[in-house]
Amino acid sequence: MERRKYPLYFSFPAVAVFLLFFIAPTLIGVYYSFTDWNINADSVTFIGFDNYAALFQEPRLGKALSNTLIFAAAVTVLQNAIGLALALVMNESIKMRNFFRMVFFMPYVIAPIVIGYVFRAIYHPEHGIVNTILNGIGLDFMAQDWLNDPKWALFSIIVTDLWRVSGFTMVIYLAGLQFIPKDLLESASIDGASYWHRLKNIVLPLIASSTTVNILLSLIGSMKVFEMVMVLTDGGPGYTTEVFYTYIRSTFSMGQMGYSTAINLVLFALVTLVGIPVLTALKKREVEM
Amino acid sequence: MRQGGKKLALHLVVVLGALVILVPFYMILVNSFKGIRESALFGMGLPSEWLFENYEKVFEQGNILRGFKNSFLLAGLTVVCVNLFASMAAFVIQRRDDRLMRGLYMMFILGLIVPVSIVPTIRLMDMLGIKGTYFSMIMYYTAVLLPFSVFLLVGFMKQIPRELDEAAQIEGAGFFRLYFRIILPLLVTVLVTVTIVVIVSVWNDFFGPFYLVTDSTKWTIVLQIFNFVSLYNTNWGVVFAFMVIVVLPVLIVYLLLQRYIIDGLTAGSVKG
Repeated sequence: MERRKYPLYFSFPAVAVFLLFFIAPTLIGVYYSFTDWNINADSVTFIGFDNYAALFQEPRLGKALSNTLIFAAAVTVLQNAIGLALALVMNESIKMRNFFRMVFFMPYVIAPIVIGYVFRAIYHPEHGIVNTILNGIGLDFMAQDWLNDPKWALFSIIVTDLWRVSGFTMVIYLAGLQFIPKDLLESASIDGASYWHRLKNIVLPLIASSTTVNILLSLIGSMKVFEMVMVLTDGGPGYTTEVFYTYIRSTFSMGQMGYSTAINLVLFALVTLVGIPVLTALKKREVEM
Repeated sequence: MRQGGKKLALHLVVVLGALVILVPFYMILVNSFKGIRESALFGMGLPSEWLFENYEKVFEQGNILRGFKNSFLLAGLTVVCVNLFASMAAFVIQRRDDRLMRGLYMMFILGLIVPVSIVPTIRLMDMLGIKGTYFSMIMYYTAVLLPFSVFLLVGFMKQIPRELDEAAQIEGAGFFRLYFRIILPLLVTVLVTVTIVVIVSVWNDFFGPFYLVTDSTKWTIVLQIFNFVSLYNTNWGVVFAFMVIVVLPVLIVYLLLQRYIIDGLTAGSVKG
């Protein structure tokens, strides 16, 4: 069938909804970020770059920026490391393999807000499982107030998110592993290639497209983190775990709409600046393989 | 002998990993039957006395059935919109594959990357006069979930041979027939995955309704649990019971359909 015969109008419903409810608010946001729109004021006036000027002088933005980047980098790297390791293990002949696969994916279908509440209990300084276990095996000195200690709070949120998402990454890697021809690995093995050798030279290159999808999804997802931080620490103690969306939430609840829209646009810029080059690099690497 | 040791080590790793996942689930369940004092200790032991009242309390105080109805309604209607719109778009995007369609595809991929501008969305809904309605929420979710669905579907569509389209045309089938009778049935695996992703995303989402729904009668189940915990966070037993009730339906859907989720993600993501 000729390409031109596929009717354009088939794409219209999707395009219309997407333009109206996704692209339009983004563009409206650009306008409002240059205004003093405040829920308590009667009128909205154009104020140029004032919101941005104020924003960049605000230490909270710096905190949100560095925390978001640390969180995103840590989660992306570790989620992929754990997910890949799990996938490699689950690709071996393990007893009850399907059961374990199902278990590892399970947290992904639970609401992040519920997971947040559960981990608040798990991290509880006196009764939480983490400290109970540490005390139980004689590692008392390692017990912490995980969520209220500025040194540990962000770390604890990262661990919680890894608990939630690693199984998803595992499934995508498992998908990639299924397409590797068995005899390729066998012949390499007979030729004397070690496990690490085979992993580096055969397995990893052949699952490159899984890696692209996984890294992209975890990078983007982690930069947009909200519920997990809100429920676990709400950006605290102090602003030590502040991320973009907790910052937006607090300015939103103070009615500073123009200002919070400006924060959103800084996040937009950040995600684009990080996301697009990473995607391009991964895609290029895929082609070269 | 060495092989045996390796196998044992692998099994050990897997079992330990599974415990890390399962222990929190067990903790919620066992504590949901405990009284106010005992549940606050978050212990792993069985309740000294099984309190089924915790569950009764949740149903009495939480307006939980209304929350279920709202979540169910939003998830269900969003599933229909996303599946239909995304598959139609993916079909022409992949088949035409001209400059315009590649641009359109890029636009959707960008939607995967770009964060939602939530405050302007509230403003837009207000301007359109649909703020706080179910319709506005369904449109919001459809817009947010289209990118991932289009991405999965375009990836999968590449595997459906074009010869099929030609054959259908020669048989005299119109374009609608081709799409609904031939293409759509072939997409079932991915559509099931999209459906599950949509259900899970809408059911579990807090961000959207937190900002977009002001009327408490339209609160979803996740918004209700947030509100409930803020009000009753002194009684963890009841909070855990609420969690069990919120988590259980998704978990059941997942356990029934997990094979399809995994297959669909496999097919759509890697070939894409």
